[in-house]
Amino acid sequence: MTRKRRPFTFSASVALVAQHAPRAAIAALFVLPLIFVLSASLRAPNQAPARTIEWIPDPISWSNYVRVFDFAPFGTYIGNSFLVVLIGVPLTAVVASWAGFAMAQMGSTARRNLLVFSVMLLMVPITALWLTRFVIFRYLGLVDTIGALVAPAIMGTSPLFILLYYWTFRRVPSEVFAAARLDGAGNLQIWAIVAMPLAWPTTVAVSVLSFALLWSDFISPLIYLKSEQNYTLPVGVQLLQQMDSTNWPFLMVGAALMTIPIIVMFFFIQRFFWLDSRG
Amino acid sequence: MQVIGKVLVGVLASAALAVPGAVQAASGEVSFLTFGDPAEKAAYEDLVAAFEAAHPEIDIVITHIPGQGNYRRRLATDFAGGAPADIVFINYRRYASLAAKKALEPLGPYLEKSTVISESDFYEETVTPFYWEGTLQCIPQNLSSLVVYYNQDIFDAAGVAYPSDDWTWDDLVETAKALTQDTDGDGNVDIYGLGTAPSIFRLAPFVWAAGGDIVDDHQNPTRLTLDTPEAREATEWFVDLQVKHKVVPDAIQEAAEKSESRFLNGRMGMFLNSRRGVPTYREIEGFVWDVAPLPMYRQRAGILHSDAYCLAATAENKDAAWTFIEYANSPEGQTIVAKTGRTVPSLKSVAESTAFLDPATRPSRARVYLDYVPDIRGVPIMETWVDIESTVGKELERAFYGQASVDEVISESIRRTQEYFQR
Amino acid sequence: MSGASRSRAAPLRAGDKHRYGLWLMLTPFLVGTVVLVAVPAVLTFALAFTEYDALSPPTWRGVQNFFDIFHERVFQIALQNSAIFVALAVPLRVLGALSLALLLQHRRRGYGVYRVAVFLPTVVPDIAYALIWLWIFNPVFGPLNIVLGALGVPQIAWLVDPDTALYAIVIMSLFQIGEGFILLLAALRSIPPDYYAAGSLDGAGRWQLFRHVTLPLLAPWLVLLTVRDIIVTAQNTFTAPYLMTGGGPYYATLFMPLLIYEEAFDRFRFGLGSAMMIVMFLSIGLLLYLVFVTMRGWGYEDDA
Repeated sequence: MTRKRRPFTFSASVALVAQHAPRAAIAALFVLPLIFVLSASLRAPNQAPARTIEWIPDPISWSNYVRVFDFAPFGTYIGNSFLVVLIGVPLTAVVASWAGFAMAQMGSTARRNLLVFSVMLLMVPITALWLTRFVIFRYLGLVDTIGALVAPAIMGTSPLFILLYYWTFRRVPSEVFAAARLDGAGNLQIWAIVAMPLAWPTTVAVSVLSFALLWSDFISPLIYLKSEQNYTLPVGVQLLQQMDSTNWPFLMVGAALMTIPIIVMFFFIQRFFWLDSRG
Repeated sequence: MQVIGKVLVGVLASAALAVPGAVQAASGEVSFLTFGDPAEKAAYEDLVAAFEAAHPEIDIVITHIPGQGNYRRRLATDFAGGAPADIVFINYRRYASLAAKKALEPLGPYLEKSTVISESDFYEETVTPFYWEGTLQCIPQNLSSLVVYYNQDIFDAAGVAYPSDDWTWDDLVETAKALTQDTDGDGNVDIYGLGTAPSIFRLAPFVWAAGGDIVDDHQNPTRLTLDTPEAREATEWFVDLQVKHKVVPDAIQEAAEKSESRFLNGRMGMFLNSRRGVPTYREIEGFVWDVAPLPMYRQRAGILHSDAYCLAATAENKDAAWTFIEYANSPEGQTIVAKTGRTVPSLKSVAESTAFLDPATRPSRARVYLDYVPDIRGVPIMETWVDIESTVGKELERAFYGQASVDEVISESIRRTQEYFQR
Repeated sequence: MSGASRSRAAPLRAGDKHRYGLWLMLTPFLVGTVVLVAVPAVLTFALAFTEYDALSPPTWRGVQNFFDIFHERVFQIALQNSAIFVALAVPLRVLGALSLALLLQHRRRGYGVYRVAVFLPTVVPDIAYALIWLWIFNPVFGPLNIVLGALGVPQIAWLVDPDTALYAIVIMSLFQIGEGFILLLAALRSIPPDYYAAGSLDGAGRWQLFRHVTLPLLAPWLVLLTVRDIIVTAQNTFTAPYLMTGGGPYYATLFMPLLIYEEAFDRFRFGLGSAMMIVMFLSIGLLLYLVFVTMRGWGYEDDA
């Protein structure tokens, strides 16, 4: 029995190695930068940088993660970043789902026009709007307020999210909404009681994506914010670099502080992205 | 009814305050925008605390911007947004565009009326650059000239004598060569002799020391004059520090670790900087450091570094703001900031006092800054100077890191800056 | 079919109310879009014909701004850099996403981990990503050059050398391709397995299967991805050079978004900045048009 299977097992494991080795190598290549960040962030700041690859610094300087808080008020920055996300993400979900819901319910002409409109919006380069958004925010009194950072949430943060909701609601059999309507429910009620519970995977995806967008946004705070007490984490990290552009341990601490929340969140929701390990 | 009542009370109250004949003290809230390292931040917090103790009726709201680049951008957006802080710190190279647009309240008339300070209390070298169209715009707090910071331990270990007060360009090159070392024998330089930024602001004093100049006429500049034999000679000498003598980190080494960071970590013998670095350098524990003057060539020359308190034209409470500016530039106020090491005081009395010259604090050769005052010059006061500096900087960098010849860089600099002189 | 057409049968009053209600739900999105996209876009267009420094009111300059910027060497360099970047990065990114999706599409043990790993750099915030690569590209202490040194390969100065800096920025952009990767993964999985089965029966090899089954079915997705990548890539050249090189060395990584930012927010020339913006916008539009024309021809050929 065992004798019989051995050659088979051997060739199978060769095949398995051949199958996995190149893929594992590629995967490692993509993860490596993040490992470099962590190890570089733990090196003692006054030490001359190493000239060999250093996986684990000696000594491990965990205190770097505390000491950046002396450099600049990172507590405030992190708080502001979370505030932006806390306001922006729910707002995005509501606005985008309303718009998606309404679009899905409309007559075919209006629906098609809005669809084309949204896709075109997706194509507008945001860079084209920096300057004049600044002018508008100035008139609205939003310059140097968290409002300037949350503002995009009013339009659903990205037209992509409206489209995601639209596609989700279009897939719901129309009888479901019609039945609710016959029961005398208004649009808002149908949205709240029928539509949203059906669309929760979309809501998770939109929430995570908008979290990532708002959390990572570096350009808006750079342009629209002025006071240090309003700064968000990306500006804080950039400040670290301005103060000492080659203080690698601290810069890597900043990069890690920015990245860790996103990665943690990403691991919780990766199954919504066709990536899950169940294959 | 209630609203009317409140308004009435308000009117009555203000009428009561404006009793004829009574001298009314300025009061209220004044915003103050400043910048610098964490060590510098403390200096201004001390100053504000002392002021508020003396003037409890005025509340100074201080905003501190850590990075210098961010500060400049912040300042520009603030003014463009029409809502700058009442009091702002501006370098003499940068206030002209604001003064030209009448965004600043000229402080000359305030200074004339002051009973606390007068213009003659200040070093003339630092007041003159802040005159725009015949009126003093801002009150300068310092006149820090460029000096050579040096690491005594590295000098001692290499057996090299410290720079003297009258050392020359050749001495600098020889010293830097002696300090540049590969300590572990792996073929890489571990300690560089000298560090400097390849900018026209760093190059200018060397051009002057060689007898040349950076522009044709400081009052009405019409072109860059780096192409005169003297200026060219100075530029080539400056560039050769890196290209030929290799005593300064090359582009790769500078990108790997900034010169100032090398100096702070005890891996660079000498570093060119203004007084600004001192509060941070005083936190150095690993080695002993001091300052030396810039080396001389045909003549001695230093370059002005000066920041001033400016009052925004939009400030609502100008009198209260002036009260703070006046205090900050009184002997009392300048003493507080001088003690933190941040400034070479612009008030002669404070500069000559122990607050600045205290032998117990580093740098012990603090007199170096004062000895050079008569030889200090400034860059021309122009609205477009910032553009000129940035354009020439990009060109100089190419020469400094051996990517282009000195002659090419000089002619490109002149050609590309021409438009900024025509405005 | 839709709820809307169904409700038309309902009494007029209720239908109207329903329709108004729907428009009401669209209002935040539409108002937001007008305020944050439409108005700024129109303003940008208008400002491009003026001189405006935000301190004094704008003055009319007509098309002079456009003449001025095209005479500016730095603008020419930035436009050229952006064009080179898009021309290199977009095909490589789409190709990379396609290869990874093909390589990791199957539901096998362990593949899920690989897919997560490949997607990971995409979720790293821009600013952190820029700093990470600044460290990796560090010419002396950076892991990349240390590895090259250990392998005995000549080290490269990456961001410090004007000849390699732009390529370094291209390289780092090739690791943030997770969006295209999952898009193509989803597209691949939507291909019914019978298609492949039928192809195999015909005796087609793997390459032929890919060429005649997979690729035509993926074509619309690839077009979509390319179009989106052109837009995203053209814009994403801000944070990296802003933080890593400041556009240098000697303008080697000065791309359009960075130049526009400097023009507007460092030098306060909003008019010139807007004019540059319009040129960039039109260039992207032209490129998209070319992509459409080419890819459409390509698609028809396949159908024939």
